[in-house]
Amino acid sequence: MNSPRDEPPPFLGTWKRLYAAVLVYLALLITAFYLFTKAFEP
Amino acid sequence: MRLLDWGVLIGALSFIVLYGLYRSRGPTTVNSYLLAGRTMPWYAMGLSIMATQASAVTFISTTGQAYVDGMRFVQFYFGLPIAMVILAATAVPVFHRTKVYTAYEYLEKRFDAKTRTLVGLIFLIQRGLGVGIALAAPAIVLTVLLGWPDRLTTFVMGAVVITYTVLGGIKAVTWTDVQQMMILFAGLFVALGTAVWLLPHGVSFHDAVSLAGAAGKLNAVDFSFDLKNPFNFWSGLIGGTFLFLSYFGTDQSQVQRYLTGKSIAQSRLSLIFNAGAKIPMQFLILFTGAMVFVFYIYERPPLLFQPVELKRIQSVPAYRSIEDRYQRAFEQRKEAAGRLLEARRTGDRTAGARSLAEYRNAQAGIDAARDQGGRLVQAATGSSRFNDANYVFLTFVTRYMPAGIVGLILAAIFGAAITSIAGEINSLATVSVIDLYRRHVRKSAPDRHYLWASRAATAFWGCYAVMFAQYGKNLGSLVVAVNMVGSLFYGGMLGVFVLAFAFPRVRGNAAFLGVLAGEAAIFYAHFATEVSFLWYNVIGCLVVVGTGLLLSLFERPAAAA
Repeated sequence: MNSPRDEPPPFLGTWKRLYAAVLVYLALLITAFYLFTKAFEP
Repeated sequence: MRLLDWGVLIGALSFIVLYGLYRSRGPTTVNSYLLAGRTMPWYAMGLSIMATQASAVTFISTTGQAYVDGMRFVQFYFGLPIAMVILAATAVPVFHRTKVYTAYEYLEKRFDAKTRTLVGLIFLIQRGLGVGIALAAPAIVLTVLLGWPDRLTTFVMGAVVITYTVLGGIKAVTWTDVQQMMILFAGLFVALGTAVWLLPHGVSFHDAVSLAGAAGKLNAVDFSFDLKNPFNFWSGLIGGTFLFLSYFGTDQSQVQRYLTGKSIAQSRLSLIFNAGAKIPMQFLILFTGAMVFVFYIYERPPLLFQPVELKRIQSVPAYRSIEDRYQRAFEQRKEAAGRLLEARRTGDRTAGARSLAEYRNAQAGIDAARDQGGRLVQAATGSSRFNDANYVFLTFVTRYMPAGIVGLILAAIFGAAITSIAGEINSLATVSVIDLYRRHVRKSAPDRHYLWASRAATAFWGCYAVMFAQYGKNLGSLVVAVNMVGSLFYGGMLGVFVLAFAFPRVRGNAAFLGVLAGEAAIFYAHFATEVSFLWYNVIGCLVVVGTGLLLSLFERPAAAA
């Protein structure tokens, strides 16, 4: 019981794909924040 | 504070603590006390990681940071998702497979006992300093609210934390964290909604955002490169990645959360959850601070938000003229804001440009008056700095929020304080017992002995936090102070784990001397240069790795087994 197992993630199939999705999400977030800054800068 | 607020506050906090104790139900082994028997699901670990990091400081200080300095602090978190991906791929499987209690226990398996002990001691020093600051934040709350003495506040908070952490161990800590994060999210949305709702009639949400932007408060991304500036895209992405690698990969208060996972996958998912949720959460908290700024365009804020210091300078002769200038600047800003919104509605570009200049001019007048007020405080108290950012949000909450909501937001703040402190004293106790007491003092004793030693160590660190909190409240903006203290030590800790994971050739002596060299470099950067603290992690880590690799050239390879 409770022995460490290297299971696949519950979505996207592999851990590599999940990690890539996180990095794409970060890029989108920074882009959105940049556009937000530009839209309301004085 | 009204009766309803007291009811909501006491009810919410009691529920958090009692539910945590119910879910833990008396651990009987060291493994269940310190690692929950490695049975925790990803969502509980994920929320617990977030709760341990999101102390009361997050709510109180971050909103004030946005009011004073704008939203640029959000960039500090840009490196967090990258760090989470790296740790999920590297540290999580290693820690799980070696079945360690602490990250430093792994260092003995990889290097030697002295490296483990050195890094364990560094953790105890830096986390011991941080836990006092985290406990100081709620003392600020009650100083502003009720004028309660700081010492009484920290004592009561400390007693609650120590009781449930000593009794329930990490399971109580984790399940308490889960409830706390629910209340924190609720408090966050309610605070933001109420700040917008309290704006005067005729000022729409878009108008409010527009006014915050015109004052330079929505500066969420800044691509300029400056080593002295702690909050820009580059320091956040590079320095932040190193800081969060250190924090989540080498700080036992975080590592211990994901060591409780029932599998590698569950522990990985807890980190990925934080990678997704942390930046939006910080953005919302900062945005709430920006909306509080807009609220105060229409409702005159005090010259200084720290009521005790404001009262102190009111008898100083120069105060009256500063207050008059502040009043005039406030009126000018309010009128200019109205003209600016009107010009934008009608599309009159000339009037818009003129009103914007007037608005920013008036804002500069307000900032100058506040600076002069701060200098009066410094002169009156003899201190070298004054910062009232920690009081901005609480002043807003207690003066303007409706009954019930004040209680909910205070519950979020107090809950954040007790859960983050609980996580920290739990990890301090774990390192004290596993890496020092069991390793060096009493190597073989019954499991029950170490269980009680863990409880005693938890109580000790709780008492220590209460005492250190007396000093934490004087460290300026608390959120910056917490991260600055961590940055003095994290680079060295990260460097030794990079050596452990990435350079199999490096052995104990090289790693040990590398850590000492890394710490020396960080302290040199802090005391002898103007480099911003976010870069200390990068400097420390690189010096440890460089020194370790260099010294390993002179070591004989390990004998074949």
